[in-house]
Amino acid sequence: MNRLLNRSLKKLLVYAAIVLCCSIPVYYFIFSTLLQYELNEHNIILTEKAGREDSYLIIAMVTILTVLFSSLLLVGLVLLNRRLSRKLWRPFYDSLAKIKGFDLNRHQTVDFEPTDIAEFAELNANLDKLITSSISAYSQQKKFTENASHELQTPLAIMQSKLDLFLQEKNLSPHQYQLIRELSAAVARTSRVNKNLLMLAKIDNKQFEQQEMIDLSMLLKDIIDLLREHINDKSIILETNITDGISITGNKVLVEVLLQNLLFNAYRHNWNGGELLIHLDATGIIIANSGKEELDTTQLFKRFASTSGGGTGLGLAIVQEICTSLGWSVRYAFENRKHYFYVHFT
Amino acid sequence: MKILIIEDERELVNSITEYLSGEQYLCELAASYNEGMDKMSQYSYDCIVLDLMLPDGNGLKILEELKRRGKEDGVIIVSAKDSLEDRLKGLTIGADDYLSKPFHLSELAARIYAVIRRRQLGSQNIIHQGEITIDVPSRTVAVNGHEVVLTRREFDLLVYFISNKNKVVSKNAIAEHLSGDFADMLDSYDFIYGHIKNLKKKLSEFGADNYLKTIYGAGYKWEV
Repeated sequence: MNRLLNRSLKKLLVYAAIVLCCSIPVYYFIFSTLLQYELNEHNIILTEKAGREDSYLIIAMVTILTVLFSSLLLVGLVLLNRRLSRKLWRPFYDSLAKIKGFDLNRHQTVDFEPTDIAEFAELNANLDKLITSSISAYSQQKKFTENASHELQTPLAIMQSKLDLFLQEKNLSPHQYQLIRELSAAVARTSRVNKNLLMLAKIDNKQFEQQEMIDLSMLLKDIIDLLREHINDKSIILETNITDGISITGNKVLVEVLLQNLLFNAYRHNWNGGELLIHLDATGIIIANSGKEELDTTQLFKRFASTSGGGTGLGLAIVQEICTSLGWSVRYAFENRKHYFYVHFT
Repeated sequence: MKILIIEDERELVNSITEYLSGEQYLCELAASYNEGMDKMSQYSYDCIVLDLMLPDGNGLKILEELKRRGKEDGVIIVSAKDSLEDRLKGLTIGADDYLSKPFHLSELAARIYAVIRRRQLGSQNIIHQGEITIDVPSRTVAVNGHEVVLTRREFDLLVYFISNKNKVVSKNAIAEHLSGDFADMLDSYDFIYGHIKNLKKKLSEFGADNYLKTIYGAGYKWEV
């Protein structure tokens, strides 16, 4: 790719070179005609040899002079152009650098340096307009998700309450009970998706900024305790290897949701009598569960990529968002017929 | 017992009222912040069910005002906003409980029952149900004077059923009551069968009537 300045200069130089080269025969023609005229006027006749020498001389002189002046001209032109354009285009490169450093996520507008060149001032003004409207559209979109999720909770609450009332009706048939149960499950699932969307919106909107010291070992054990009953019900073989006293700084809600999502996934997508491994040390967390085949790694952490087994399709997307916001990383691998999730505190 | 429901969603209010009215509860409604503030300051209630997002104001202000006046009404916040800050704020100001929407009516009934009894009876909070005596603060149960040792889950279930007397309680409502938010992530509610089976067995061992009926395909009902 050519830079703007080099490109214009190159054209200019080529043009100058062509003009100067073409000027050599013209000079020669004019000089020799003049010389011939003068010689004729004063009745001087040159020998053929002297005439040839003269024309060689003229050609040599003209060429030397042309080359000399043209190089002077070109060098001057290059230097002048470089200096001038550097000054002239500086506001442009300035703006360019600022746009490069712009991040929509940071919600920061860009302050362009004032310039007295009309074109650049106009460019900056329009860039400014574009950026401001992008930021506002972006934050509106985020707010929208949050508001929509909130607004949906109330109608869902109404649906749930009507179903609870319906259940109290006398003489309902088993089929009607089944319908109520299925409707209830759908309402619960909608509400769950909604809550997860809200969670993602809040992470995006950086509403979990509060930081504190968290005893990760303790928190992990607490969550395992909540699950223990269900793990036993499913006869899952639980193997834990938790180093005590691992503490990190972060938002407690986020860390809790992260651990819950990973652990509950490992429980839910396990089979009766399967294995569940939980490992924690100073470098990270490993959670693994028995599985049949490798999951699609390209889709795994995407929103709504997989909604298997009544899940919301958002659990792992939330895991990844939380890891990113904590500065951690999460990786999936399928080894020895087990799904492994590695979380690294880096 | 008098309950004030401060909530602007008419349909939700109707459901709550209908569910609670069959029992010993008398429900009054306030559909706005101002109306809620008026009723709260003029009368006394055993329990106030308070929505935070009202069209003309924030429900938390009503709670603050109630506490400022030193009133003893129990308060359960019901909010569409399931945010930790709101929950903490509400509980710090002095709400007795916090329930996020959507919820099961049986869950709300259980919370109201618990709040009222805790506030009014304190350490004397003992439930008598025929031959069954439940000492809530010390979490002990006796049938015909014999102590029955229940697990934490079984005890919770017993109180939950009694606070929803004569109502059909669905299995997912029970699962949510026992596991809270985790119920969402469990794909089967089978685990509640075991607890209920054990509870029934333990109670009948000491000669308690079979109050707890299984409603096939729907859930359970504590019938008296």
